[in-house]
Amino acid sequence: MRGDQANRLNDGGLIDRSTPLNFRFDGKILFGFKGDTLASALIANGVKLVGRSFKYHRPRGILTAGSEEPNALVELRSGARREPNTKATTAELYEGLEAASQNRWPSLKFDVMSVNQLFAPIFVAGFYYKTFMWPAKFWEAIYEPAIRRAAGLGRAAGVSDPDHYDKAWAHCDVVIAGSGPAGLAAALAAGRSGARVILCEEDFVLGGRLLADGGTIDGLPAAEWIARAVAELEAMPDVRIMTRTTLFGVYDGGTYGAIERVNDHLPVPPKHQVRQRLWRIVAKRCVVAAGAIERPIVFAGNDTPGVMMASAMRSYINRYAATPARRIALFTNNEDGWRTAETAIATGLQVAAVIDARPDVSPAHRALAGRGGFPVLHGSVSGVDGGKNGVRKISVSLTGGARGEVEADGLAVSGGWNPAVGLTSYHRGRPKWRDDIAAFVPDGAPPGMAAAGAANGAFGLGACLREGFEAGAAAARDAGHSGNIGSMSVADDEAFSLTPLWHVAGKGKAFVDQQHDVTASDVELAQREGFESVEHLKRYTTLGMATDQGKTSNIAGLAIMAAVSGKSIPETGTTIYRPPYVPVAIGAFAGHHRDENFHATRLTPSHHWAVEQGAVFVDTGLWKRAQWYPRAGEKDWLESVTREVKAVRSGVGFCDVSTLGKIDVHGPDAGAFLDRVYINAFSSLAVGKARYGLMLREDGIVYDDGTTSRLAEDHYFLTTTTAKAGLVMQHLEFCRQVLFPELDVQLTSVSDQWAQFSIAGPKTRDLLKEIVDPAEDLSSEGFPFMGAREVALRGGLKARLFRISFSGEMAFEISVPARYGEAMARNLMIAGKPFGVTPYGTEALGVMRIEKGHVAGPELNGTTTAADLGLGKMMSTKKDFIGRVMAAREALVAPNRQVVVGIKPTDKARRLRSGAHIIPKGETPGPENDQGYVTSVCFSPVLDQWIGLGLVERGRERIGEIVRAHDPLRGEDYDVELCNSVFYDPDGGRQRG
Amino acid sequence: MADFSWDIRSPLDRALVAGPYGAQGEAGVSLTEIRDFDLVQVMARRGKAGEMMKAATARFGVAAPETPKAIGTADATLIWSGPDQFLVLSKDGKHSIEALDSVFAGSASLSDQSHARALISVSGDKARAMLAKLSSIDLHPDVFGVGAAAATSMDHTSVTLWRGQDRADGQAVFDLLVFATFAASLWHTILDAAAEYGVTIGHSEDLA
Amino acid sequence: MRITCPFCGERELGEFTYLGDAKPQRPAADAGEDAVYDYVYLRDNIAGVMSEHWYHGGGCRAWLKVTRNTLTHEISAVEPAAGAGAAKVGA
Repeated sequence: MRGDQANRLNDGGLIDRSTPLNFRFDGKILFGFKGDTLASALIANGVKLVGRSFKYHRPRGILTAGSEEPNALVELRSGARREPNTKATTAELYEGLEAASQNRWPSLKFDVMSVNQLFAPIFVAGFYYKTFMWPAKFWEAIYEPAIRRAAGLGRAAGVSDPDHYDKAWAHCDVVIAGSGPAGLAAALAAGRSGARVILCEEDFVLGGRLLADGGTIDGLPAAEWIARAVAELEAMPDVRIMTRTTLFGVYDGGTYGAIERVNDHLPVPPKHQVRQRLWRIVAKRCVVAAGAIERPIVFAGNDTPGVMMASAMRSYINRYAATPARRIALFTNNEDGWRTAETAIATGLQVAAVIDARPDVSPAHRALAGRGGFPVLHGSVSGVDGGKNGVRKISVSLTGGARGEVEADGLAVSGGWNPAVGLTSYHRGRPKWRDDIAAFVPDGAPPGMAAAGAANGAFGLGACLREGFEAGAAAARDAGHSGNIGSMSVADDEAFSLTPLWHVAGKGKAFVDQQHDVTASDVELAQREGFESVEHLKRYTTLGMATDQGKTSNIAGLAIMAAVSGKSIPETGTTIYRPPYVPVAIGAFAGHHRDENFHATRLTPSHHWAVEQGAVFVDTGLWKRAQWYPRAGEKDWLESVTREVKAVRSGVGFCDVSTLGKIDVHGPDAGAFLDRVYINAFSSLAVGKARYGLMLREDGIVYDDGTTSRLAEDHYFLTTTTAKAGLVMQHLEFCRQVLFPELDVQLTSVSDQWAQFSIAGPKTRDLLKEIVDPAEDLSSEGFPFMGAREVALRGGLKARLFRISFSGEMAFEISVPARYGEAMARNLMIAGKPFGVTPYGTEALGVMRIEKGHVAGPELNGTTTAADLGLGKMMSTKKDFIGRVMAAREALVAPNRQVVVGIKPTDKARRLRSGAHIIPKGETPGPENDQGYVTSVCFSPVLDQWIGLGLVERGRERIGEIVRAHDPLRGEDYDVELCNSVFYDPDGGRQRG
Repeated sequence: MADFSWDIRSPLDRALVAGPYGAQGEAGVSLTEIRDFDLVQVMARRGKAGEMMKAATARFGVAAPETPKAIGTADATLIWSGPDQFLVLSKDGKHSIEALDSVFAGSASLSDQSHARALISVSGDKARAMLAKLSSIDLHPDVFGVGAAAATSMDHTSVTLWRGQDRADGQAVFDLLVFATFAASLWHTILDAAAEYGVTIGHSEDLA
Repeated sequence: MRITCPFCGERELGEFTYLGDAKPQRPAADAGEDAVYDYVYLRDNIAGVMSEHWYHGGGCRAWLKVTRNTLTHEISAVEPAAGAGAAKVGA
C-alpha cells in the first residue's frame, strides 16, 4: 500500500516508510508516508499543478516548503471541517486526508475563469478603483458579485466548526522561536543555566534547516546532534518543547502569542481534545531564531508549476525523499543556491544547467559542474516555457547579450535570504539594511527580545550555533539565571557570496506576489501613478496583503520600486510589520467562548426552582432572569404577564430581585461617605430605615439609583440597579480610595451573599405572617413604610426585611443568605398558597414600575438629570455631593429640557411603541420639531390600554396636551396624550397601607 | 402551622455530578466542592491595620496575612484578599461573623461572605495544566508555593485562589473561591478545560 | 500589557480597568463652577509619559496611579491611590 509515488526516492529522508498513508487530492486517491506534508506527498506522486491563482486563475504549483508558501493553498478536510487556504507545505499528511484545489471551476485542469488571463490588461494594479467607478449603482448589482465570483481563494465551510479550541497561559524566563541550530543552541544555553524555557517550533519535527541541509556539528552528523540536543533538553524539567506551535506575535510587557496546532495532524481530534490552542506566553526574554526565508527572483513565467525555491527543492529531496523534478535547472545569484545542485547530483538527479547571475563561480562549483556534466551559464532566466503540466524549457539571457535555452522539468531559484524580521518588527521597529548580505536584519526589537542566527542575518551554520548559544545564555542571565551553561557546539561557516538580483526584464508576466497576482509591471505602474511610498504601493497593488503577508514578495516588490524610483532599497524602506506571523483561526481566539459559553452566566439563587416552574428566561447582562411564568392555556407572553400583574395588584406575588447589586458600606464615616455619593442625605437616616437614593456622575447626569438601608450606626446596606452593579462598586471604590481617602469607610460586595425577593400586593402581610416568626410585628406601626430590619423566620432562619415598593403595592423585600434562596421561593409558594400567591417575572415587574411611574434603565440613560426624572427636589442644598456643581449648569437646568412624563394613545386600542418621536400636533415631523421620544411602554392591565413613559420637552407643564407619536421606523403615526407619569395610585396610599 | 424547612443548597448543587468525567483512565484532575463553611471578610478601618493584626493574632494564634498568602491555623484559614483585608474560612460557626464581631470591634469591619462564594478544590497531575487555561497566574511550584494566594480572575470572574497543603500523595492542591452566582458557569468552564485530562468529581463537607 | 500591582504583583491587562488622567484633583466644595468644569472636562492626552488611574477590579480592587508612556506602553511607576491600604495610615 504505497501506490505509485513515482517521484519518491528509494531511500533516505525523514519519512517513516513503515507507515504508508492514503489521501485524496481532488478526489483522486494517492499515497504518502508518515512524516510527509501534503506538499511533499503530492510531489512524490508527481502532482505539479496544485491550484489556480487569485486574480488570473493561472496554474500554480508548489513554490516553498514552509509557512511562507504563496501558491499551494488547498481546502483541507470536508463538510463542517472544511478549512480553506491551508498551506499544503505545512499540512501534515494523515491517513484519509482529503484536500481539494481552490479557485477553479469546473476543474483544476480546465478552469473557465482562466480566460481572465486574456483580460489581463484590465486587471492591473488599482483596477477596482479605475474600472468599476461608473455608474455607481452598477457596483453592488453587477461588478462586485462578478468580481467576488472571479477572484478569491477557498470556500469557508459555511457551517459551525464542530471542533473545540482553547486558550492557555504559560510563563517562562526565555521563550525561543524556532528550533534550528540557533534555536536549539539558545535552548541548551538557557536551559543549562537553570532558566525556565519554552521552545516553540512551527514544524512537527525539531531541527529547522538542518533537516534539509544537514551539516556537521561537534563532529556529528546534524541528525545525531539534533537528537543529542533534544534528549538533553527533554531531560530538563523546566524546559518545555512545543512543536506544531508558531510564535505569531509579541505584545506589551513580554507577552507573546503562539498558536499550537494540537490535533491538526489528525483527521478529527480525539474525544475531549482540542483542535488548536492559543497560548499567551509571559516571558522575561525572547530569542527569535526563526531563520530566514529564501527569496525569489522575479522573471517572466516565474509562477509556472515546477519553478521552486532552491532551498525548498533541497527540503523535498533530502527531508522527504521526494523529487520535484528529474532534470533540474538552477538559477541563483549566490553561493548558497548551489547546494541544490550539489543535492541533485548527490541524489542522482540530472542538473540541466546552473544559471548564475554573478560574474564568478567558485572553483569547487566549477568542478562540480564538470563532474555532473552540466553547463554553468552566466546570466539570468528571462522566461519559462511551460504551463499547467510544469516547466519545459527555460530562456536565458546570457551576460553579454546572447540568449540561450535550457531544457528542464524543474527550475530551482535562489535570490538570497531574507531574515524573518516579523517578530522583531511588531512594535514598529524598522529592520535595517545590510549591504553585505543584501537583506534587512532586525533592528529596534521590542524590549527583551533578541534575534540570533539566520533571523539575525548570520547564515553560516557555525555562526548560527554561536549566536544562538550566546543569545540563549544572555537571555537567561538577564532573567536572573547564572548556572553553568557548558560548552558551545561548533561547526564551520559556509562561504557566502551574493550579487543582488531582484528582477529580470523580459516579455510576459513576472510575478512579485504570487498569492495576490501582483506583477513587476504592477509595481512599475504604481510608481508611475504616484504610489511610490511602500505603504501606498502595498494598498494600491495589494502586494503582500494576502494570507502569506508577502513573505516571499515584499522585499522583491520594494526592491523593484526602489529601482524604478531611483532610490536605494533602505531609502525605500519596508512597510510596517504586524502580527500574526501566520494566519490564526478566529476559533482559536474565541477558544471556549462560543455558543452557550460565549460569556459567563450568572444564575439567581432561585434559578432552578424557576426552571421547575417553567419560567421563560431572559438574558440581562450575564444574568438569566425569569421573564414570566407561562401557564397552560395562555396564548402569549402578554396574557401571562397581564395575569401576573393582576394577581399582584389584587392578591400577592413575588419576584427574585437578587440581581440587584448589593454593597455593605461599613465604618464610622459610612454616612458621610454616602452623603457625598448620593444627591440626598444618608447620614441623617435612622437605623432601621431605608431610603431611595440617586447618584450623579460628576458631570451632573444621573448615574444610578437604588434603596439604601441603615442596619447599624456604622453599617449601611446599599443596592444598585442590576445593570450597574459592577460599575457602581468600581465608582464607590474610586470615591473611597481616590476622592475621599480621609473617610473611614469600607466597602464589600455582598451581591451574591443574599437572595432577595420582592413580595407585593395587598395580601403581602398575610403571606409574611405565615413565614415570619409570629413574634415579629409587621403592622404599619411596627414595621412602617421604608422600615428595614432583621427578622426571625419560622424554622429559625434569620432574614432581613425591607418595606419598600417598586410596584406601588403594599410590598416588602426579604433577604436570606443565598443558599436558602431556593428554599425561600418554595416556602413563599407554601406560605402564600391560601392567598393565591403568584410568582412574577421581570416583565410584570416592568409593567408595574411603568404604571407607578418609576424610572429605570431607559430613563436613566446617561443624558438625564435628577430634575428631568422628576427627582430634582431630592438634591440636597446642604452638602457637597458628586455632580452637584455641574448639575446646576445652565443647559442642565434649562426650562425646555426633555423630562419624564406619562404617555398614552388617545385611541385606547392603539399599541404604543418605545422609540416613537413626540411631535406637536400640526407640525411636520423632523429634527426641528422633535420634542422627545417614548422611552418605556407596557400594556397596563389597570388602565386596560398601552401606556408609557417618555422624555418630552417641558413635559410636566403640558399634561393633558395631545401630541403626535411619530414612528417612521415602523411607519406609524398616532395621537397620544401627555399625562402624569404615575398612572397608578398617585397618592401612594396602597404602598403605605 | 408547621415550621418551614430551610434546605441549604450549594450553588453547585445541580451542576456537580459526582464521579468520573471526560477522558477515560486515571483522572488527571480531581475536583472537589467544599460545602458548608463560614467565610468572613475582615477589613481594617482607617489607620487601624495594626490593631486589626493584633486582634487577629490574639484570636488565631498566628499573624494574619499582609501579603498575598493563605495561612492555616488550627481551625481556620486566613486568606489575603486585598490591602488591609483578609478572609477567614472556617467550619461549624467557630469563626462565624457573629463569633468574630467582638474580636474586631473598632479595628475592622466584617462582612459575611459565607453564602457569597463557592469553594472548589483542584488537584491532580494535570491540575496546573488545566488551571493554565483559566488563570493568568504563574502556578510553577517555585513561584506559587504552598500558602501562596492571589486575588485574581478566571473567565472574567473574580476569584480568590490559593495553594493549600499538598495531598498525602504529594500532589499540589489549589483552592478557589468563586462568587456564588458565577459558580455553575465557572464549573462548566473548568470541566471543559479538564475534560481532556480526565476528571474525578466529588464534594465534601470538610475543609482541607 | 502587564501592570505590577503594588499589592498583588505583576498581572495581565485584563484584570485592570483604565480610567484616565490622574492629574486633575477634585476641587473643594466651594471652588466654583469653572474649577469643577476644568476638573470634569479638561484632560491631558499626552504622547509620552502620563499619570493614569487604573483599577485592579479583577484582583484586589485597589485604585492605582500608573505612570505610563503612551507611545511605548512602558510603565515606569505604579503606586496605590491614597485610600488604598489606608488602614496603615498613622499605624
